[in-house]
Amino acid sequence: MLTYTQTNQAELRNRLAQHAGDHLGVEVLGWFTFLLRHFARPFIPFKFPAERVHGFNFDGRPHRMAKGKRRFLDSKGAVYGCELGRLSHELVTESAGKLVRRLECIYDEILVDEVQDLSAHDWEIVDVLLASSIEVRMVGDIRQSVLATNPRSNKNKRYAYAEAINWFREREARGILEIIESIITWRCHHSVASFSDTIFDPSWSFPVTESKNHKATGHDGVFLIESKHVDEYIAEFDPQCLRSTANSGKTFNLDYINFRLAKGTTHERVLIVPTGGIVKFIQKGTHLPPTPAASFYVAVTRAAQSVAIVLDKAGDSTLPFWRP
Amino acid sequence: MINKIKICGYRIYDQFILEPNQKLNLIVGANEAGKSTLIEAIALALTGRVNGRFASEDLNPYWFNRSQVEHFLTKLQGGDHPPLPEIRIELFFEDREELQQLCGAINTDVPTTACPGITMRVYPDPDYASEIDEWKKNPSHLLPVEYYALDWRSFADEKIARRPRQLTTVVIDSRTVRSLSGVDYHLRQILGDHLEPAERAEISLAFRHMKASMSETELGDVNKRIGELHASLHDQPIALAMDQGARSSWESSVIPHVDNVPFSMSGQGQQAAIKISLAMSRHAGTTNFVMVEEPENHLTHTSLTTLLSRIRSLASDEQQLFVTTHSSFVLNRLGLNALLLIKGNLQSRIPDLDPTTVSYFQKLPGYDTLRMILANKVVLVEGPSDEIIFERVFSNLHGKQPMECGIDVLSMRGLSLRRCLELCASLDVTVAALRDNDGSSPEELREPIQSWLKEGRRELFIGEVEHGETLEPQLIYHNDETSLRYILDLRTDADLATWMKREKTEGAIRIATSAKDIHPPAYMLDAARFIYG
Repeated sequence: MLTYTQTNQAELRNRLAQHAGDHLGVEVLGWFTFLLRHFARPFIPFKFPAERVHGFNFDGRPHRMAKGKRRFLDSKGAVYGCELGRLSHELVTESAGKLVRRLECIYDEILVDEVQDLSAHDWEIVDVLLASSIEVRMVGDIRQSVLATNPRSNKNKRYAYAEAINWFREREARGILEIIESIITWRCHHSVASFSDTIFDPSWSFPVTESKNHKATGHDGVFLIESKHVDEYIAEFDPQCLRSTANSGKTFNLDYINFRLAKGTTHERVLIVPTGGIVKFIQKGTHLPPTPAASFYVAVTRAAQSVAIVLDKAGDSTLPFWRP
Repeated sequence: MINKIKICGYRIYDQFILEPNQKLNLIVGANEAGKSTLIEAIALALTGRVNGRFASEDLNPYWFNRSQVEHFLTKLQGGDHPPLPEIRIELFFEDREELQQLCGAINTDVPTTACPGITMRVYPDPDYASEIDEWKKNPSHLLPVEYYALDWRSFADEKIARRPRQLTTVVIDSRTVRSLSGVDYHLRQILGDHLEPAERAEISLAFRHMKASMSETELGDVNKRIGELHASLHDQPIALAMDQGARSSWESSVIPHVDNVPFSMSGQGQQAAIKISLAMSRHAGTTNFVMVEEPENHLTHTSLTTLLSRIRSLASDEQQLFVTTHSSFVLNRLGLNALLLIKGNLQSRIPDLDPTTVSYFQKLPGYDTLRMILANKVVLVEGPSDEIIFERVFSNLHGKQPMECGIDVLSMRGLSLRRCLELCASLDVTVAALRDNDGSSPEELREPIQSWLKEGRRELFIGEVEHGETLEPQLIYHNDETSLRYILDLRTDADLATWMKREKTEGAIRIATSAKDIHPPAYMLDAARFIYG
């Protein structure tokens, strides 16, 4: 079972222990660990004879002009996180089938959670897995693609972020995989869910979400609040405050979580301090570009019952204002 | 199955590569040639243990190759900065499905190859760099093993902490280290592997119950009495109970009995036989390595025969067998084609011995093939009298006994010269073969064995037909009757030719011990010249 973030791995392990504790043959690995353990470490000599992988460099980047092994390994022999996908994919070819055969003998089935987090050469790896005898199942919410495993690579730029859906649709058309759209949300109240559906341009043709959260609290749905009412709102509802990045939302001194880090969490109520783009989207209906849209989508869908967006002028928006 | 073994820097092995046979390997070599070391090295890489003890606890300066240590010291004293000697043992396995976890390209093969495998490496621990530098100021032959670390890894570059469960290894040797209960590590492991998981669980549960019930019943009364003793520090009651810890698990208490005698009390031969049978009749799905050191050591001839036929009948594709031996009997019985000859860092094998030759020696297991195999140079003669006389002729010519020159004179005693020559040729042993012409021309006799001969390496020496059919008439031809009668100390009424024919061995001994030299037949003299000098 593969996933990208450590939070997700922990979450998966917990759930496995709860629901399938008797199945000892299930392994939970991070995507990078998977590539390191089964691709880079065992097979690197096929690309660089007598070389070894001496570690993993998550933050480092190779020099832009780096050639040969310096492209993939830092001076201590640790492989760059951002190049691991490319290295792994090249080793599949260089090992002349040995790598894939090994994987096929070790795993019957590979499940990838939060598949929308993959990027660049990772998609090539998924292609390799799809072509192998291993059963591959992937789950993810394309609308949440806010993380990328290689922010600088140009490879598969076409599929970057929310456009990943096209990658899957292309393969579905070729009969390589089957897409099963799950439109049910157990978390978000129906009014939050329908608002979240409006965030992406309809041309993406994402299906309409169906909510199974029928709880009513008397304050459910998406609201606008004026700046001057923020303190009172917080005092009354105690929402989780969200901001785009550490640089936004500075007008208020609130206990924020950034959009990216909020991924995977659930909160009864959230309060969002919008970016300029979000303001324009709400006031004028101008759709955000894919990445910020995905980010905003993550923020909104954290809420179970209510979302409050700090905005003084409603513009064309029909969202109701909350007033004390 | 192990396809290739690479040993670097371990004991006698400086750089050693061996590609063993898939099923059976008979490891043969002179004393100190490294037979046991080879078994030890394989077991070390497979189990992480040496003689049943963890290698990390047993690390010893004598594990390192002497010449590598010497080389290191010379360079160090010469002002160079040589790296400290290391030990590396690599096992390359067959590309089997169940071994794929161990598959990868992290090995020393050039060009890069990927296959399942294991590396055991003993290397200076970088954490102790400063201590090592300190040691280098006053180095000795005894490497500072306390600063060395063990790295046990698969070819997939993953650390191995315990024996990979797909590989089961059994070592059966004479110096087995026993635990207190009399069942050593290897036997415990064999037993454990032999039982199905469900059987193991059941035994374990029953054993716990039994121990628990003993605490309640028999120990109950005792505890009542002991409880009244005020022996402990704060007057808490004392009671006896069965040890439920892991150390007292059923594996150490449940031991095999042979005919109602505990395993450890039965004879060593019996023990070896049981271990071999248990180890070799394991269920499929695992790769089994069975290593037997010198099975001839603890067994009578009959038991050895039984054991060898058991080994032969149990051998299957599921296991690879390594047997070291000093016995031609073991060698012939298990089949000469499985032979691996070890001479220090060199090894040779019999690549394609004719199967009929293998079965020929299998049917004649008493014949000393090992002498032929281990000798540098061999003189093949027909019988004991030829052997005795050749030795005398040789020492007259060279002033030394053939043995002192590394030459083994073997009498074939009716064995087929062709088979012996084939065996020698397959190991490229230097041979002088002598035979009687029995009335046929040398050319005619040479013809059927021509393919095993090689000029300067293996040659056939035959006396001229007109000088006599066998050795005795040849001697009569080359010597005058008076001196022969004198050397043989013959009574005057005895006929020389008749006596020599009847008393071949006696005559040979008299010739060999006589103060007076004989004139040797020309072909024998040629052979003595060919084989030495």
